[in-house]
Amino acid sequence: MKLFLALIRRDLVLSLRQGGGAGTALGFFLTVVVLLPIGLGPDQALLGRIAPGALWIALLLSVLLSADRIYQQDYEDGSLDIMTMGPVPFELVALAKSIAHWLSTSLPLAVAAPILGFLVNLEPGSVLPLAMAMAAGSIALSLLASIGAAVTVGLRRGGLLVSLLVLPLYVPVLIFGMSASSGVSGPDIAIPSFLILLALALASLVLSPLASAAALRSYLK
Amino acid sequence: MDTAANHVGFVMAAYLLSFLCLVALATFIIARDRRLKAEVELLERDRNRKKTS
Amino acid sequence: MQYLANPTRFLKLTNPLIPLAWWVMFILLAVGLYGALVSSPPDYQQGESVRIMYVHVPAAWMALFVYSVMALASAVAVIFRHPLADVAAKTAAPIGAVFCFLALATGSLWGKPMWGAWWVWDARLTSMFVLMLLYLGYIAIWQAIDEPHRAAMIARIVALVGFINVPIVKFSVDWWNSLHQPASVFRMSGPTIAPSMLWPLLVMGLAYTFMFVALHLIAIRAEIAARKIRQIHIAEIGER
Repeated sequence: MKLFLALIRRDLVLSLRQGGGAGTALGFFLTVVVLLPIGLGPDQALLGRIAPGALWIALLLSVLLSADRIYQQDYEDGSLDIMTMGPVPFELVALAKSIAHWLSTSLPLAVAAPILGFLVNLEPGSVLPLAMAMAAGSIALSLLASIGAAVTVGLRRGGLLVSLLVLPLYVPVLIFGMSASSGVSGPDIAIPSFLILLALALASLVLSPLASAAALRSYLK
Repeated sequence: MDTAANHVGFVMAAYLLSFLCLVALATFIIARDRRLKAEVELLERDRNRKKTS
Repeated sequence: MQYLANPTRFLKLTNPLIPLAWWVMFILLAVGLYGALVSSPPDYQQGESVRIMYVHVPAAWMALFVYSVMALASAVAVIFRHPLADVAAKTAAPIGAVFCFLALATGSLWGKPMWGAWWVWDARLTSMFVLMLLYLGYIAIWQAIDEPHRAAMIARIVALVGFINVPIVKFSVDWWNSLHQPASVFRMSGPTIAPSMLWPLLVMGLAYTFMFVALHLIAIRAEIAARKIRQIHIAEIGER
C-alpha cells in the first residue's frame, strides 16, 4: 500500500516539476473556453445553453491530449521495464500512474471548469451539479485515456489511434455527464445519471489497470 | 413493389449500395486469397527445387 | 478445438465448407430478395421505403454479430492461446466494418424519407457510430504495429475493451427514449413485426450470415498463407 502511494506521489512530483502535461491541458482548456464566446458571437443566451456541453468537451479533450504523459516517459527511459519486476503488481502500477494523472490534470480541470463557466455564460444554478458530475466523470476520463495511452505507448504516430480508441469509451461518460450536470433538467434525471457516472468511474477503476497493464506488457516484451 | 411510389429512389439506392459494397468486399477478399495462394505455391516450389538441387 | 490448432488441418476441414456456404447464401439471398422486394407488403405508414429494412437490419445484425465473433476469438486467444484465434479476429474485422458501414448508410437512406433527417444523434445511431469507430480502431492497430505477435496482443485488448459497446447498442433503444424504432424482433415476449415481413427479414439475415461465414473462412485461409510466406522468408534469411 505504501509503495502504491509512493508511486502516486512520484508521478505527481514529476508532473509538478516538469509542468508539461498538466500545463498543456490547462492551456488547451483555457483556449477552448476563451475562443468559444469569441467564435460564437455575442448571443449570450446561446452560449449559456451550450455552456455545460462545451465545458465537458473541453475537459474531455484536455484529458485526452495530456494522457500520453502517463506512460511515455517511463517507457522511453526504461523505468516501466523496472516497474514490471518490482514488488508492486504491474496492474497497480498502471492504476497508480492513472490516479496521479487524475490528481494532477483531470481533477483540477474538473474543479476549475465550473468556476470558469462564467466565461461561457454558464447558468449559476448549474455550477454545483456540473462540478460534482465533472469530479466523478474525471476519474473515468483519466482512467479510460490511460488505456489509450498504454495501447499506443510504443507507436510513433499513435495520436489518431488514441482518439479512435478512447472516443468510444468517452461517449457514455459524456452522455451521462451531461444529463447529470444540467441544473435545468431537474433531480429526476440528474441523480440517476450521476449514479451511473459514478458506476462508470468505478468500472473504469477496475477495467483500466487490467487493460493498460496488459497492453504495456506487450510493448515491454 | 410499386416502382412509382414515393421515396422508391431511396430504396433502390440502399439495395444498390449494399450490393456494391458486399461485391467489393468479396472481390477484395477472394482476390487476396488467390494472390497469396499463388505466392505460397511459388515459394514452396522454389524451396523444393533448392532442396533437391 | 485444439484439433483445429494446426492450420493445415483447419484448412482441410473448412475448405469444403466454403462452396457450401456460398450455395446456401445464394439460395437464401434469392428467396430473401423475393420476399423483400416482391411478396412482402408495403408498410401502412411508410409505404415502399420500409423495404430498406431488409438490407438495413441484417447489416446491423451482422455488424454486432461479427464484433462479437471478434471479441470471442480475442478472448480465446487470451485464455487458451489458440494459434488461429488471432487470425480469426483479425480477418473478421474488415467484414464487420463493411456491414457496420452498410447499416449506417442504409439507415441514413431510410431515415431521410422516414424521419426527414439523414442522421440524428440518438442512442441507437450514436452507439452504432461508436461501433464503426471501434472497428476502425481495431483494424488500425493491426496496421500500426509491425511485429505480428505484439500487434495480436494489443488487438485482443482493444477488441475486448470495445465489446462493452455491443450490449449498449442492443439495449440503447430500450434504455433511452429514441427516435429509432424499438426492438421488434429480438424481444423477450416475441417479435411484434408482421409475419409477412418477419420471414424475409430472417432469411436475409441468414443469407448475410452465410456470406460472412464464406468470406471469413476465405480470409482466414489467406491470412494463414500470408503467415506461411512470412515464415518462409524468415527461414530463408536464417539459412543464408
